[in-house]
Amino acid sequence: MDVKKKKVLNSYHVVFLVQNIMIGMGLLSLNHTLSAVGYGQWWFPLLFGVVANITLIPMIWISLQYQDDDLFDIHEKLLGKWIGKLINTLLIVYAVIIFAAVIQKYLDLIQVSVLSDRTIMGHLIIFLLLAIFIIKGGIKSLARFCILTFFVTGWMVYYLKWGIADGEITHLLPLFNFNKLEFFDAFKNGYTAMVGYELIMVYFPYIIKPYKAFKHATIGIWNTIFFYISVTFVGTMYFSEWQLEHLLFPVLKLFQAVDLSFIEQIDTFALTIWVFLMLTTVGGYLWMAKKGMDSVRNKNSQFHIYVAAVLVFIVINLPFPMFLAKLYETIFLISFGVILWPILLIAIHSVRKMKKGVVR
Amino acid sequence: MKIWKRKKRIVVGSKEKSVSPEQTTSKESDVEKETAKNPSPEQTPLKKSNSEDATSDKSNSEEAIAKKSSSEQTTSKKPSQKQITSKEPSSEHTTLKLPSPKQATLKLPSPTRKSPMRLTLKNIPLESIKSELTDIDDAIFKEFQTKQGLVTIVYFSSLIESLLLHKTVVTPLVNDAEKAFETFDNIEQRNMQVILSSISNGDTILYYHEKQKFVKAKTYSPPQRAITSSENESTVIGPQDAFTESLATNLSLIKRRIQQPGLKNKDQTIGKETNTKISVLYIDHIVNNENLKLINERLDKLTYEGFFDITILKQLIEDNPYSVFPQFLLTSKPDAAVQFLLDGRIVIAMENSQSVLVLPVSFFEMFTSTEDFYNRWTTTSLLRTIRFLGFFITIMLTPLYISVLSYHSGVLPFELLIIIQESRSKVPFPPVIEVLFIELVIEVLREAGSRMPTKIGQTIGIVGGIVIGTAAVEAGLVSNILIVLVAISALLSFSLPNFLMSNASRVIRYIFILAAGLFGLLGQFIAFAWLFNHLLNLTSLGSPYMTPVIPRAWSDMYNSIIRFPLSFIKKRSRLSRSKQVKKASK
Repeated sequence: MDVKKKKVLNSYHVVFLVQNIMIGMGLLSLNHTLSAVGYGQWWFPLLFGVVANITLIPMIWISLQYQDDDLFDIHEKLLGKWIGKLINTLLIVYAVIIFAAVIQKYLDLIQVSVLSDRTIMGHLIIFLLLAIFIIKGGIKSLARFCILTFFVTGWMVYYLKWGIADGEITHLLPLFNFNKLEFFDAFKNGYTAMVGYELIMVYFPYIIKPYKAFKHATIGIWNTIFFYISVTFVGTMYFSEWQLEHLLFPVLKLFQAVDLSFIEQIDTFALTIWVFLMLTTVGGYLWMAKKGMDSVRNKNSQFHIYVAAVLVFIVINLPFPMFLAKLYETIFLISFGVILWPILLIAIHSVRKMKKGVVR
Repeated sequence: MKIWKRKKRIVVGSKEKSVSPEQTTSKESDVEKETAKNPSPEQTPLKKSNSEDATSDKSNSEEAIAKKSSSEQTTSKKPSQKQITSKEPSSEHTTLKLPSPKQATLKLPSPTRKSPMRLTLKNIPLESIKSELTDIDDAIFKEFQTKQGLVTIVYFSSLIESLLLHKTVVTPLVNDAEKAFETFDNIEQRNMQVILSSISNGDTILYYHEKQKFVKAKTYSPPQRAITSSENESTVIGPQDAFTESLATNLSLIKRRIQQPGLKNKDQTIGKETNTKISVLYIDHIVNNENLKLINERLDKLTYEGFFDITILKQLIEDNPYSVFPQFLLTSKPDAAVQFLLDGRIVIAMENSQSVLVLPVSFFEMFTSTEDFYNRWTTTSLLRTIRFLGFFITIMLTPLYISVLSYHSGVLPFELLIIIQESRSKVPFPPVIEVLFIELVIEVLREAGSRMPTKIGQTIGIVGGIVIGTAAVEAGLVSNILIVLVAISALLSFSLPNFLMSNASRVIRYIFILAAGLFGLLGQFIAFAWLFNHLLNLTSLGSPYMTPVIPRAWSDMYNSIIRFPLSFIKKRSRLSRSKQVKKASK
């Protein structure tokens, strides 16, 4: 029943969608990606939050101009049918590759640390099936899943307590002990963890209260920042600079510090529960790819979900590991472009509007 | 005198007929006035064959029966009719003179009447009913000679208690037949089908030969079970009475708890062959009309053969029939049904079913029991927490054993790992096989226990206990620790108040076991994600199944895992979307 209605997303749905699509693999390696600035990294998420909030403004603004259209429709309206469709196709590719990048990174990690004697093929298929299963229920299904994900995974913040206890508080100062290059390096690598909120342009027409979307998305972003900053804060205290630089997934190491009498290696649990966070992230992009195909082919079809999933499967199984690694690295740089893209759209929009005004 | 009057009419009618037999049907007015019936079905038999006798004029649906009965009708009539229609009206007088005087006067007018519909009212002959009820040995025909002439009563003796029949039908009939005739119900649509179906519903049909009229008396009184306490949903505190298999009893159990005219019950008959009665109950000023409309639509669409229990109906009208989870609640306790009615839910009761259906319900309500409201709020909160967590523990515990031992042995502290490894040092199977084996044995035990006669049932417990508890471990088939885990999860699965939900939990556990066997903890959490997604997408009568968690409703939180004191629960649940959200709570 929910699938058929157009406006389905309530305020809290938006909050959790924004938040949970953002949190994913980025959080696991956040300390590492920010390691270029050393101990000064712990306040970086605050900076990210501000930047994300600023870049959110053009997204919401352009979406508000076309309230019933998603990003793909806006492209076709602003850029004409053919250029629009071309860009939409590129966006589909973008969504598929981000999907593949995220999932491969995660499954590789699983292979290394949890299921060491397995290939990723089995998990990959099941994972894809589950993502399809979630997205088949539409965006609201994903939004609900996001809410549950928050409650299933959010409590893991508690495990950072041991990190604080073992950490060294003096690591937190000084704040600005880095140069310009290091700053840009850290920013470039670290901001990949923030990617995900640009999807609001795709599910914007489904939001019941579009004028409040900015507020709710902001809450979502700052929720994310809370988790990020707690991780960087504890990480900075707990790790040495050398560790920050050389540990690929420091959060797991933080979890290993947990000391309970009946259980060890909390990181195994954390990593496997992380599957929820991965599903929400991946689900968002799968949905984006589906919507893109809908708009390019001018018809809504559940079949597109399968197509997108198969594409992901193919990308992951491409026999060019070096190329793929490069691709995954660059796709996140492209995502910065996608985040900034609405600014260009606004420019086109205003130019067209001015022209129309002149004609009138 | 009467006879003469009739004769006159016949003559008039026959004249008209002689002019144009087809047109006449629309013309005759005085005849139709008496029995307003639509003329359309009557025309067809006229055109088909000229021989319309008393029974052939029933509406289309009854034609089949009518044919049979007409053929068996007094043989003397048929030839006469043919004569009338084929020949001149004068020949009709000959028919009037025909056989035994009493019958002839009553029956003969019929063939010549232009409005066959009128005749249906009076002239369904008893013989045709008799012929329909041949080979039904408990169909009783009894004749009584009263002041009103001969009266025949027809009933199924197996559906009617003889004492009741005597009190309600026979005694008044013998004492004052005239009064009895007035007090008994008229059969409004007097056609064969109605009469037959009311006989098979347990009514007694009275046929007044002189008036040629049928009346019926409601005498349905099949043997019934007494009201006992519920065996499946036993409670310690609170009323102990439970529903029985009789719809009337169940309705009275509910109605005596809600004594106001706002409580409606709409009866309906479903089941193509069984004609089972159901009753849809709701409180008019509380229930959500959309819900009511939705359930009525679903009930109207039903074309199922037969209903023996309300669970069949439940499966047919559920939102997602493929799901493992029950989406409507079954309860056999009237106090539970009443509690849901007051919340604005709809309750469906069915004849021959000792539980009623409550809809819509949420996932969480599967973990609640009526006793929760009789206990102190603190006790209830504790019990609900145990049940709710129990559900998740019961599906996760044994799979955890598998994934820890097969894939992630580092998760356990060294001492614990040693204990477990020691206990399964003799076991030659991988943990998945071990767990599957013991879970299946438990399942078989449970199934055998519930199928066995109760006297032998105890043996099963002892045999099962010894075989599994000691022998299997000593033989080295399973480990001690696993026995403990399996026992805990089995116990927890039975602690759920809802039997269907506890069944569902056991089915799901196997999915988790297989997932854990395949992918360890990752598999378990993927299965968990699947479970949550499935639950999130389920609806109960169009309302989300996972309320109040998602979509959140803060007012519902007062009555969730922690049940607040009663005065805190000021609103009806969001799920029922009732017309009056606020309720009196002080």
